[in-house]
Amino acid sequence: MVPAKYNVRNLRVRWVTTLMTVVGTGLVVWASVLTFGLADGLDHALRISGDPLDLIVMRKGANDEGSSNVEQKVAKEIANLDGIATDKSGQPLCSSEFVTILTKPRRHNAGTTNLIVRGLQDVGRSLRPEFTIVRGRDVRPGVNEAITSVNMAERFENLAIGEKLEINKVLFEIVGYFEAAGSSAESEVWTDLRDLTGARRQAEALSSINLRCRDEAAKTALLKRLRDDEQFKLDAIDEPKYFEKQMEASSTIKYVGYVIAVFLTMGAMFAAANTMYAAVASRSREIGALRAIGFSRRSILLSFLFESFLLCLLGGLLGCLATLPFHGLSTGTMNGATFSEITFAFRFGPSVLLQGVIMAVTMGLVGGLFPAIRAIRMPIISALRET
Amino acid sequence: MSEAHLDNGEPVVAVHDVCKEFYRDAITIPVLSGINLELKRGDYLALMGPSGSGKSTLLNLVAGLDRPTSGTVTVCGQSLESTSESKLARWRSRHIGFIFQLYNLIPVLTAFENVELPLTLTSLSRRERREHVEAALQVVGLSDRSHHYPRQLSGGQEQRVSIARAIATDPTLIVADEPTGDLDAKSAGEILDLMERLNREFHKTIIMVTHDPDAAVRAKQIVHLQKGVLVEKTHAGQE
Repeated sequence: MVPAKYNVRNLRVRWVTTLMTVVGTGLVVWASVLTFGLADGLDHALRISGDPLDLIVMRKGANDEGSSNVEQKVAKEIANLDGIATDKSGQPLCSSEFVTILTKPRRHNAGTTNLIVRGLQDVGRSLRPEFTIVRGRDVRPGVNEAITSVNMAERFENLAIGEKLEINKVLFEIVGYFEAAGSSAESEVWTDLRDLTGARRQAEALSSINLRCRDEAAKTALLKRLRDDEQFKLDAIDEPKYFEKQMEASSTIKYVGYVIAVFLTMGAMFAAANTMYAAVASRSREIGALRAIGFSRRSILLSFLFESFLLCLLGGLLGCLATLPFHGLSTGTMNGATFSEITFAFRFGPSVLLQGVIMAVTMGLVGGLFPAIRAIRMPIISALRET
Repeated sequence: MSEAHLDNGEPVVAVHDVCKEFYRDAITIPVLSGINLELKRGDYLALMGPSGSGKSTLLNLVAGLDRPTSGTVTVCGQSLESTSESKLARWRSRHIGFIFQLYNLIPVLTAFENVELPLTLTSLSRRERREHVEAALQVVGLSDRSHHYPRQLSGGQEQRVSIARAIATDPTLIVADEPTGDLDAKSAGEILDLMERLNREFHKTIIMVTHDPDAAVRAKQIVHLQKGVLVEKTHAGQE
């Protein structure tokens, strides 16, 4: 094999073209990884929202909580069913909730969009992952207070602490910000169940019941009981499956992202190929000499492929590193299932970064292949005569 | 440096009835015809002739860089006309040392690394390779320049590094294509001294292509080629 230092030093000697190719490849990888990180962030927000032991109970035929309604009487019966997990004080982990969707203005004159406002009981907080108040305080029932996430406060008018959100001409004061492990709960405004139903003038209304099963066996039994009971006329949905449906929104982002990535990658492959063609052309005599002294065609092919691989790998690593400052940066999009804003953060985990590196390596290997083939197809004698 | 290969009286180079033609745009260009040549161990042959007479073509055939159109070329016991490309590459790395007119050193490698290059194709350990490289650089008198890059060396020094690379693997045959063609008279003289020493002290078999009669007389035999035909063979001192 031709020593690797031959390739490394050649890249260093031709540092201007090396730098230009590395930056070009890096930009392509950066743009693609940003898109992958965006889709992964949205996926994560929805994936983490569903606990494997949690069920969402809604009216039969309802696709989401916004179009569902459950009777108070039925909700009480469900809370007493066997198989529901309990908290430390023995209270069943079963939360009756009311969801309403309002059209509200975004900050910075960015138009209006749908906002989910959820009224829930205290127990509902235990059903969300890692619910914590991070600033201000939680709501007090009966006085029209609300809490939301920092991301939502930054994106919507009237959602900062101290500001007032109008719901059906009733003003709800924002008193705190919460976090819930980046789940979709952070895309909502929460208030007390009775305060919200009161403001909406639907005192007895409920949209759904969120509950946690004691274990897998209890979950199977509860699912059967809730679905089969004609008296309830309800459907119980496995929570992870419910959010999985909503992930279809992120698959559009992914699809568009991959299509863009493919085109960008093809462009970068041409750039890498161009650099390597120039390298082969300017080193014909070296190639001839290497082959004359006994290096096989295969060694020369691998040597030039390695050089191209290295070139693009550098670009890939640079591109991946350049995405890291965006890690955790929050953004939002329309949730196609609920037609409301969902906020989430860019995520550049190992799998997303690996995709970027694989892209770069593919650019290097495919882009370097044809120049490398050209290098080995040169007759030794002609190569040695090149000036 | 040892001289252990092929000590059984067989010729190192045996060229029989070799013809070589090139084809360009459906035109056949005969370059060599009816060439017969034999070199024994320790021979030092100068190939002379005008441009286009086929000197370099003959050298390339003997070095296994090209194949004859007809006839046989046997070098170091290996028939070259039908050997595969990959086998030829391996064979060259073991048996042939190359000295080029324009040195053909790798610019991004130091003198030491250039000399080490053909040794990376052998099974020698790193330590053994270093010993071989140091010995070769000592023979050419460039031990103190081992960490210099080609651009930091004069033309004569570059050619000496190229000679060190050619002898590092202790090859049976050294082929030199106009080794002094790009050098001033003083450097050329030093290179010719060195090649003579390789032949005399280390019994290396050498074929050298040259235009320069002063260089040719340093060889033991001189062969003249004209229009692809061997026209004259003289021994040193007979010119």
